[in-house]
Amino acid sequence: MQNEKKDSSVLIHHSAFLVHHFLTWMTKANGSVIMRSLISSCWHPGRWSYAHGPKPHEGPVPLDERETLSRAYIFTLMSAIEETKPDASLRPAPRVRTGSNASTLLTKLMRQLSSVRLGVSLLVLLVILSMIGMLIMQQNVDGFDKYYAALTPSQKLLYGSLGFFDIYHVWYFNALLLVLSLNIVLASIDRFPGAWRYISRRKLEASRPYIMNQPQHATMMLEGESRSAAAARIASACRSVGLKPVVTEREGRTYIFAERGAWNRLGAYAVHVALLTIFTGGFLTAQFGRDGQMPLQPGASSSTMTNLAFELDQVRRVPAPLPFTVTCLDIQQKLIEKDGSIQANNTIDWLTRIKITDEYGEREGLVHLNEPYDYRGYRFFQASFISFGMARHITLQLTPTTGGGAPQQVTIKRDGSATLADGTKIAFEDFQPDFILGQGGKPDSRSGEYNKPAAILQVTTPSGEQKRAYAFQMELPDGAPVGAPVAGYKFKLVDFEKVPLQHVLAIQKDPGKIPFYVGGLMLILMLGAVFFFSHQRVWAVIEEDAEATGSAVAVALGGNTNRNKLGFEDRFKKLVKAIVG
Amino acid sequence: MSEVLQQPRLAQESDDLPSTGILRSYLPAILAVVGSCLMVGLRMRVGGASFISDGALMMLALACYLTAAVFHLTNLYAPSEMAQKVGLWLATAGVFFNLSSWGVRWINARDHELAIILNNGGEMPWFFRYIPFANLYDLSLAFAFGAGITTLLIAHRKSFRFLGALTLPLASLILLLARFIGNEFINLPPILDSYWRPIHVGIASLSYGVALVCFAIAVVYLLKDGVKTEAMAIWSSIFALSVFATVSRFSVFTSGVYSASTFLPVTSGRRPLPLRVDIPLVGPTLIVAGLLLVGVIIAFGIYLAKQDEKARLWGHRLLKLSLVTQASAIALLVSQVKTMTDLVSRIDPRQYERFGAWMAEQQGMDKAQIAQLGADQLIRSSEQFVQQRGSQLFLSLNANPVELAALITAFAATLFVILFSFRTERLRATLPPLEKLDSLMYKTASVAFAMLAMLLITGAVWANESWGRYWGWDSKETGALVAWLTYAAFLHTRIARGWSGRRSAYFALLGFLLVIFTYLGVSYLLPGLHSYA
Repeated sequence: MQNEKKDSSVLIHHSAFLVHHFLTWMTKANGSVIMRSLISSCWHPGRWSYAHGPKPHEGPVPLDERETLSRAYIFTLMSAIEETKPDASLRPAPRVRTGSNASTLLTKLMRQLSSVRLGVSLLVLLVILSMIGMLIMQQNVDGFDKYYAALTPSQKLLYGSLGFFDIYHVWYFNALLLVLSLNIVLASIDRFPGAWRYISRRKLEASRPYIMNQPQHATMMLEGESRSAAAARIASACRSVGLKPVVTEREGRTYIFAERGAWNRLGAYAVHVALLTIFTGGFLTAQFGRDGQMPLQPGASSSTMTNLAFELDQVRRVPAPLPFTVTCLDIQQKLIEKDGSIQANNTIDWLTRIKITDEYGEREGLVHLNEPYDYRGYRFFQASFISFGMARHITLQLTPTTGGGAPQQVTIKRDGSATLADGTKIAFEDFQPDFILGQGGKPDSRSGEYNKPAAILQVTTPSGEQKRAYAFQMELPDGAPVGAPVAGYKFKLVDFEKVPLQHVLAIQKDPGKIPFYVGGLMLILMLGAVFFFSHQRVWAVIEEDAEATGSAVAVALGGNTNRNKLGFEDRFKKLVKAIVG
Repeated sequence: MSEVLQQPRLAQESDDLPSTGILRSYLPAILAVVGSCLMVGLRMRVGGASFISDGALMMLALACYLTAAVFHLTNLYAPSEMAQKVGLWLATAGVFFNLSSWGVRWINARDHELAIILNNGGEMPWFFRYIPFANLYDLSLAFAFGAGITTLLIAHRKSFRFLGALTLPLASLILLLARFIGNEFINLPPILDSYWRPIHVGIASLSYGVALVCFAIAVVYLLKDGVKTEAMAIWSSIFALSVFATVSRFSVFTSGVYSASTFLPVTSGRRPLPLRVDIPLVGPTLIVAGLLLVGVIIAFGIYLAKQDEKARLWGHRLLKLSLVTQASAIALLVSQVKTMTDLVSRIDPRQYERFGAWMAEQQGMDKAQIAQLGADQLIRSSEQFVQQRGSQLFLSLNANPVELAALITAFAATLFVILFSFRTERLRATLPPLEKLDSLMYKTASVAFAMLAMLLITGAVWANESWGRYWGWDSKETGALVAWLTYAAFLHTRIARGWSGRRSAYFALLGFLLVIFTYLGVSYLLPGLHSYA
């Protein structure tokens, strides 16, 4: 205990204020002896031997020293998350530190960095910072300018100087993540040897007192059986309940050790490796990833994307060049109700057909919602759209004004044209959803809604004369100039497919994707493996009973598990049943 | 030939071992799931018109959960095999109706939209477009199912069947919230039409359900561990007071009035308006209930500090009085919302400026334009609106779902504390040993932790496939992360510090509160990408 106090006073000197405050609080809580002894044993150069093999220690020596020490491993170098609460009697006695002068600042720092307690403190800090980020609006969120404007000058100053408006990218947040990663790595290195011992050096023999000290135990007397017959019976009972037995014979006693799921001790490390893989992916994305947006409408092409840079309530657009040119061939919007609006709540899908040109040639691709297109590591996503109404194709009804011919219908694509039988060429030049004649008689739109949809056409007569025509969907009053016949035809807009003016694609190059996905998959699988399985161990010792008449053997049976106590209880009961039954 | 001289330790409850096979002990859970699959199959065969609606099935589930909870509670106070069995099978029926309602809703949603799409000559969208994970109603339905099925799975051990006494009322509260949200179909925001949605949201609802069960176990643990019901009453009173303080835009304690939002009938149904109507008597009743709770806190505070028996007695009296007052406030609210006419005279003109700004925003004006209009103009336009359309406005329980559910939750919390204070020692004796509760709490917390991890990873992958980024620190994302980190802290303090039992229980409580915050708070309080659900 003396030791512990000394340690924490050293700690106070060398820790940052917040961490220190939290740690001091935690040191006051119970159970710290174990951690302390772990720390001093592992990060002290002269003590590595303890971490790797039993060594005599000071203090009262219990029943069986070797066993007590190995129990001490269970709790000090415990691998995964152990269900069992460390029991006071099993704690190693505080050891006198031999080389305390040699414990440099670095050693202390390493001790701290590799402690799970620091890990938990960092988690708590991360929670606090994330909560701040949730409660204070972040500068890249829509509506930040309004929020920012409503703050008092002192709030602006305080939050701004603490970096609260962009807390997830501020230096101390990154530093926190870095220290957390370091802590995960060091704590894993620190604890791994202990976990590995469960697999590499199984405890095959256990004494009767050790067995009787297990959370599950039973003793029984098997009459009329030899030791070997009893061993065979217990071994087969173990197999029948799914435990793999090993029988050892030594000094007139038979020992049986049976276990299942020893690999479960390593699961926790795999989980942390997965987390680090995810962090690596995130780091690669943040450092070497590129992203931006590109608005596109049919016929347009571009070889730069635009990135948004946020600085408090200011947003800057930063152009970023791409190693290829993107040309938009067609955009399409699938609606639920064909005559409804082109807003998102009436939409099934947005589709953009693009052509990419670079030194390797040309290729066409389709980008639609939730289905990005991938080229040379760049991925194209359907991000948003400019909701000004346009037409993807129009269907016109042409009524000849002379000769009394029957009306005919033609369908023309956006920016396309059609040639009639008589040689008249009609080009679909433009479209206005809410038609109005603007300045200088130029067609314009009052709004982006489809209130007065009109197609603007360029008509070329067979003789090569070019004229402009308008086709409206609604009935025009007689004599309206825009409705006058052109080149011998009266035009009417019968139908059109709604589409917005532009689609905006998000473009992203992300070198961290593979590590992220691999890490994510591993995290899910490993968490499942860790929490849905457990390492269960059973020991038995068979001794000849000297007092019994005839042949009889005494059996002590006991075991423990690192998780799923209730399941293990069931299994243990079944095991006892199988042995005696 | 052989005999056991010494029975294994810890064998006190032999009935705990599933004696008749694993399958049989999981029978309720299996039956509920298989049954609802059959129900959905039947719905596809029979067709919509003659079939029971998903809303009715949900109400049946709610009724089953509530009656099952009553039987479970009876069994706790007066142990009887019969009550336990009835409780278990009613819970099974509840889970069956719950899942059936969700499945039938899937088919209904498909039929509903398919007619429109086929009419328009569109192609048939894929089946998973209609999976009921589109808004908070759907999610609540699935959340309650997650809690219900976890309860049934845990009930395979007889000694844990009693848990339904806590988890089922909680599940009922969630269904009640769903009922208040209303089950109208919404057009699916297109970005959600991805195969990741069933995966991500499915995991969300199940993990929330497991977290709920973990919370219930933590409460039971604390009760068994000897945490005084008076201390619990203080916490539940603080919770109820904060509910009273926040509902109705903080007006209860500031101006003594409770007001409810209104609906305006429009061609496609109805439209919720942020124009609130004062409901008489509810505000003052809530104030009285609140004052009684303040009295409870003081009385129990004195009792806990000085062991003053008299203070304890008074605290319990006040607590019961407050329960009655809360019940009358809720009854007054519900009955008046259902019957009140002449709303116009009860609209407080002080909200006109805010409402005018909202209307301007709805008309597509941006912030600068609204600011230019000035307060007078905004108030005038609101007055005009109330004069013209005021007579059409109507009230509904669906207008303020979270507020109403929060009031009922506060009531339920008070009720349960009172129940716990009744024959507490006997109740403690019926509960399973602390060690087992701790073990089960650890198990559910680890499952919740693993599932929340899946939730975060699938969410990140989906975001990357749809938007091209994994993680944007959106408030829902951050909320789920914070809940996950809390469970991580639960698990790590257990290894590093050997924290278990009561300390773990506090982590479990905090974890679930954060889950609820993520589930409701983020959608209703904070802006972000997940604001639809």
